[in-house]
Amino acid sequence: MKKFVFSTPMGEKKLFLLSWASPVMIVLLWEVYCRFGLIGPEILPPPSKVLLAAITLAESGALLPDLGISLKRAATGWCIGAGTGFLLGLAVGFSSIARAVLDRSIQMLRAVPFLALLPLVIVWFGVGEGQKIFLVALGVSFPVYINTTLGIRQLDPKLLEMGSTQRLTTYETIRRIIFPGALPSILMGVRYSLATAWLALVIAETIGASAGIGFLALDAREFLQTDVIVLTIVIYAVIGVCADAAARFLERRLLAWHPNYSPKR
Amino acid sequence: METPGGEQETLEVVVVQGLVRSYGPKVILNNLHLRIRKGEFVALLGESGCGKTTLLRVLAGLDSIQGGTIHTPGAPAVVFQEHRLLPWENLWRNVSLGLHCGRAKEKAAKALEEVGLGDRLDDWPRNLSGGQAQRVAIARALVQEPKLLLLDEPFASLDALTRIKMHKLLLSLIAAHKPGVLLVTHDVLEAIVLADRILIMRDGGIVKEYVVKDYADKRTVQADLFEALGFAGGDSPY
Ligand SMILES: Nc1ncnc2c1ncn2[C@@H]1O[C@H](COP(=O)(O)OP(=O)(O)OP(=O)(O)O)[C@@H](O)[C@H]1O
Ligand SMILES: [Mg+2]
Repeated sequence: MKKFVFSTPMGEKKLFLLSWASPVMIVLLWEVYCRFGLIGPEILPPPSKVLLAAITLAESGALLPDLGISLKRAATGWCIGAGTGFLLGLAVGFSSIARAVLDRSIQMLRAVPFLALLPLVIVWFGVGEGQKIFLVALGVSFPVYINTTLGIRQLDPKLLEMGSTQRLTTYETIRRIIFPGALPSILMGVRYSLATAWLALVIAETIGASAGIGFLALDAREFLQTDVIVLTIVIYAVIGVCADAAARFLERRLLAWHPNYSPKR
Repeated sequence: METPGGEQETLEVVVVQGLVRSYGPKVILNNLHLRIRKGEFVALLGESGCGKTTLLRVLAGLDSIQGGTIHTPGAPAVVFQEHRLLPWENLWRNVSLGLHCGRAKEKAAKALEEVGLGDRLDDWPRNLSGGQAQRVAIARALVQEPKLLLLDEPFASLDALTRIKMHKLLLSLIAAHKPGVLLVTHDVLEAIVLADRILIMRDGGIVKEYVVKDYADKRTVQADLFEALGFAGGDSPY
């Protein structure tokens, strides 16, 4: 694939600094506006106060356990959903019978925005752990499934032919041609699924929770603690960014052979 | 080689009789006969769309046939027009693809050495030029120690100079490994330089054959081949 690089008068380093300049400016402006009362504390607390809230909460020992509980929910749900999506994707990618049986139903289910199922999920599971994990798993399984089947279907048939003329066994064909060939697409699904996992968790925790980041937010809402509310939003954002960074790291490691992911141009 | 004359059956790497291959109602190979002896280099010429690739694919076991018989000892190795290297595996792993014995890396390294890429075992395919990639593909085929090597226009996408170098390399590799070879090509000169025997394919069968060493002067083969391919003497730019 061709890469278009526009020439710039600036070096990589300067561009990197520039890319961080605007977020820093926004935070600074936010602080200044709050300090001068242009934004009332009941609307938005200044960033410094959010930071303070984080420190007090952490010192009182409330923040970390809640964070841990949320992360555990997300991880459990993600593992179940991604595992299911991947296995179904493999089955449908490899077997035309599995495709005939499963694919249409899954595609139809996919057309339903999974968050619309929330009321039903609450009826099934109540507002306990089950409801949250199930919702996360549901949201995660579709992108992983879609991208797994897509990756397998988009394989170059010429490489499969080559595999057969080199007399590969079925296992070798899967291990050395099909799986690595589908991997870019699978990882794309993984990256996307991390975002949906997080979204599902936020929604599920906001509906009702007795622990977790969402619970912190609910509790803070009762007492109009905007600083804690903003803090929970920031935590969700930071974890989302970290998950995405982890997925990108995985892509760079596993797809080093791929011109689009290679470390240097 | 061993017994002069007499029973030749065991000395042949391809025996094809009455081969029929069709796509739906369209018959591509029609009652085709072909024999290739052990270690013999056969080139196949014919106009575009006459079924050369079809024949090669059938011999490689990639497509089924609708009639006739094919005998080949063991599975043939194939080099296609494109290198078909796995972009996610380094060169030695690409070459060792399908080696089921131990010491795969050692064998792959030796094969890459033979094609002049012994110093790039751990490199990625995308860092190779077209000619280098094709050399790896040849190494991958030969490391299988095939009795029959099938080549479908393997040098067609290379520039003229690289192609000449590849001819030299191929000849030395063939001399070392002694597989029977069936080469599909559009390049009449390539066929003359490389092959012991040249076949002309038309209407789904092999219509003519030329044994190159029967000609004292290679230019006469060339003239005959051009004529057989449908150029009257004066039409050829050569
Ligand atoms: N999958 C297919 N389905 C239907 N027809 C096909 C298919 N593959 C090839 N053919 C037809 O079979 C005929 C022979 O094709 P083939 O690829 O063997 O030609 P070729 O001699 O290799 O030509 P070239 O020199 O251009 O590579 C052509 O008429 C082609 O249209
Ligand atoms: Mg062809």
